[in-house]
Amino acid sequence: MADSTVMARRGARLAPFLPALSRVVTLLAVLVLVGLLPWLTDRDPALSILRARSGDQEATPEALAAIRAQLGLDQGPAGYLLGWFGGLLQGDAGISWISGAPILPGMLKATGVSLTLMGCAILVVIPIVAAIVAPVLRSGLRGQVRRSSGAVAAAFTALPEFLLATLLLVVFAVWLRWFAPYGWTRWSDAVLPAVAMGIPAGGLLGRLFSDALAGTFSERWVATWSVAGFSRAKIVLAVFRRTLPGLLPQVGMVMIGLTGGAVAVEQVFSIPGLGRATLGAASAQDLPALQTGIMILLLIAVALGSLANVTSAILLGPALRAGALPVAMPESAWSRRALIVPVLAFAALAALVLMGLPRDPFTSAHMRLEAPGLALPLGADGMGRDVLARVAHGAVSTISMAVVTTFLALCIGLVAGTAPRLMAGPIEITKATPPVIAGLIVAALMGPSAGGAMIAVLAVGWAPLAAHVAALVTQARAQPHVQMAPLLGVGPLRLALRYILPAVFGPVLRHATLRLPGIALALAALGFLGLGARPPAPEWGLVLAEGMPYLERAPWAVFIPALALVLLAVLAVSLANLERRR
Amino acid sequence: MSALPMNQDGSFLSVSGLERSFAVPAGLWRRAERRMVLRGVDFTLWPGERVALVGASGSGKTTLLRSLLAIEQPDCGHILCQCRPVQPAGMAELRWYRQSVQYIPQDPAASLDPRMTVRQQIAEPLRRFGVDCDHDARILEALELVGLGRDFLPRRRGELSGGQAQRVAIARAIATRPAFLLADEPMSGLDLPIRRQVAEVLRELSVTRGTGLLIVSHDILDAARLCTRVAVMDEGRIIEDRPSADLLADPHHPRTRELVNAARPLMPPAGAT
Repeated sequence: MADSTVMARRGARLAPFLPALSRVVTLLAVLVLVGLLPWLTDRDPALSILRARSGDQEATPEALAAIRAQLGLDQGPAGYLLGWFGGLLQGDAGISWISGAPILPGMLKATGVSLTLMGCAILVVIPIVAAIVAPVLRSGLRGQVRRSSGAVAAAFTALPEFLLATLLLVVFAVWLRWFAPYGWTRWSDAVLPAVAMGIPAGGLLGRLFSDALAGTFSERWVATWSVAGFSRAKIVLAVFRRTLPGLLPQVGMVMIGLTGGAVAVEQVFSIPGLGRATLGAASAQDLPALQTGIMILLLIAVALGSLANVTSAILLGPALRAGALPVAMPESAWSRRALIVPVLAFAALAALVLMGLPRDPFTSAHMRLEAPGLALPLGADGMGRDVLARVAHGAVSTISMAVVTTFLALCIGLVAGTAPRLMAGPIEITKATPPVIAGLIVAALMGPSAGGAMIAVLAVGWAPLAAHVAALVTQARAQPHVQMAPLLGVGPLRLALRYILPAVFGPVLRHATLRLPGIALALAALGFLGLGARPPAPEWGLVLAEGMPYLERAPWAVFIPALALVLLAVLAVSLANLERRR
Repeated sequence: MSALPMNQDGSFLSVSGLERSFAVPAGLWRRAERRMVLRGVDFTLWPGERVALVGASGSGKTTLLRSLLAIEQPDCGHILCQCRPVQPAGMAELRWYRQSVQYIPQDPAASLDPRMTVRQQIAEPLRRFGVDCDHDARILEALELVGLGRDFLPRRRGELSGGQAQRVAIARAIATRPAFLLADEPMSGLDLPIRRQVAEVLRELSVTRGTGLLIVSHDILDAARLCTRVAVMDEGRIIEDRPSADLLADPHHPRTRELVNAARPLMPPAGAT
């Protein structure tokens, strides 16, 4: 018994370092995972290179061994890993398996393009945030607390980047011909991509900011200050100073989201940026290039996230550590009217699916790109397949994949959330990883597939649920009846299952349900980028991507799947709004 | 009551030389230091006794109680129950102790699980400790002792008043027929008539079943009215430990005098009878 006490004391001494330890271990694990991609992939890299370089050469064991030796794959995983990291430190990321050229110069150039694009996107973000925040600020200064902007605006700003990029391309490049549909040579080429990235980011940031501002305006001191005759400028400055630090981690998340969004937008507009280069490397199985691309994307994401954290720590100072900040408690403003938007979106989606389900999504029974008519309400796609049927069946497949993914994320979140200090690293790192990057890693490991997309979305989707579980568990443990339970002979297992789980399960299940449409959109995004389901499966992202080449001749093949996704996005955001208002 | 637990000689609950300190982390203008909360406490509770543990807040009452409940490890000193040493440990090792020393919490309503019925609440310790008896009969017996009927069995926390919740909490604590009951301010936050009810239930228990009661309280007069003995704590020590009437009539320690004077000086001490 004395031994166990000593152990407990030692454990208690280690406890403060547990989160830091967890972060370091997770970061190392991710680095090793990326570094060992050529070893972990389930296909023989030598074979794919042989195929890529010369299609007609016989795949003899000698030829394959020669390629392995040439790539350094014969020295074992540890040797390869050390060689790769050593090379990275000296600015050498190896040579491309496909072209044989050094990787790093091209990747750095692509990174420059991506960073320029993200900079342009931030130029779009700022006015959008200002436009959303301004009304809240005005009414706040008049002493009224006004929450959140309109639901329609919120839904519009919550379209995923790949979808918005597609819509912008259709409207402004193809129909109106204001901009070139692709390329990266003039400044005007940056407009549509920057808008596609800036609107979702700016919309999300603006909503977060205006909600936080409304919370600050409802704090007592603001009224005291204005009664005491402080100038408006002084009050606005103080309100900003009070609001910003709590918001900065979320700003970090939005910036990280920009990294993932850039990948999708570059793909749509054919911009020679980092995301497109990495996607290209993934589809060509050029693993060294893929590794380098993923590393740079992760680096950008981590740098943006830590920048936000450091700024927030500096702004807050000791108040953060002491936990002395008052927590803004939004009052509940819940009305039946808030239900209208999600119900309408759901009804429209359901109608689309019910109409299309009896039809055949696979057979090319129609003319290629046949225009919509009575027999074919939504026209045919580039292979003469029924668009309505493909969208409806795509809904079933995408949403059922999302349901499975959400359920698994819920299970992982429930388990991981019970050990928040141990899981601090995995939670933070996966939160800082856009699904696209996870999708790239998974696709490199096992090739693009629907299952792979689910694994990728699951790999980053569990973290918010785990964080929520952790908060709820802490809350439940502080309840007197839970603290009292051990005195009644309740053991740890029963305590967890009978006392804590019931308090946690309901809210987390609700949270997971609200995340379902978002997860479906992430799956569709991976499908769109070629990291998910393979043709001819009717998956939403894939159906949309298949229509893209025929954009000018058959806009319906793009427009209808896009519309279905827009409905899903509207559903996602309006549901999330419901939750925040409660 | 036909099935009174027989208390053999030696079945007392005692602490000796108990010390406990907490680390106070360094602040901006302050060095890290250790603050002594218990500085060598000696104390014994005998069966059938009703003892009040009083003292100002911060005097160490709660820490002493937590040590007695074996949920806090003292720095040094011993706790003995029925001549066996006690210290925080896993469920299996402490089963005998938890069964014979039960706890009545301060906030009765919050200490009941909102999802469990009264029957499930009271059955919980019986089931967990594997008490060998007819559980339903034992639950009814405990409810009866606190003056509640069988119609309370299917109710949940939200359907009980404050006094009823406190009596359910007491019923839960006495269901295993513990030899000792430790109560943390069992009557604070209750209306006067309900306080009297609860006090009467506790007195009954000690008189008819020989249960040893330790009642932590900040109100010295209230405590003295119910208890046979009062122990006064100050700065981590027990500064006075005497029969209630003596202590109220002639407090020795200046801190005790302060406590007595501060508590409703106009009312005559009822414990003097």
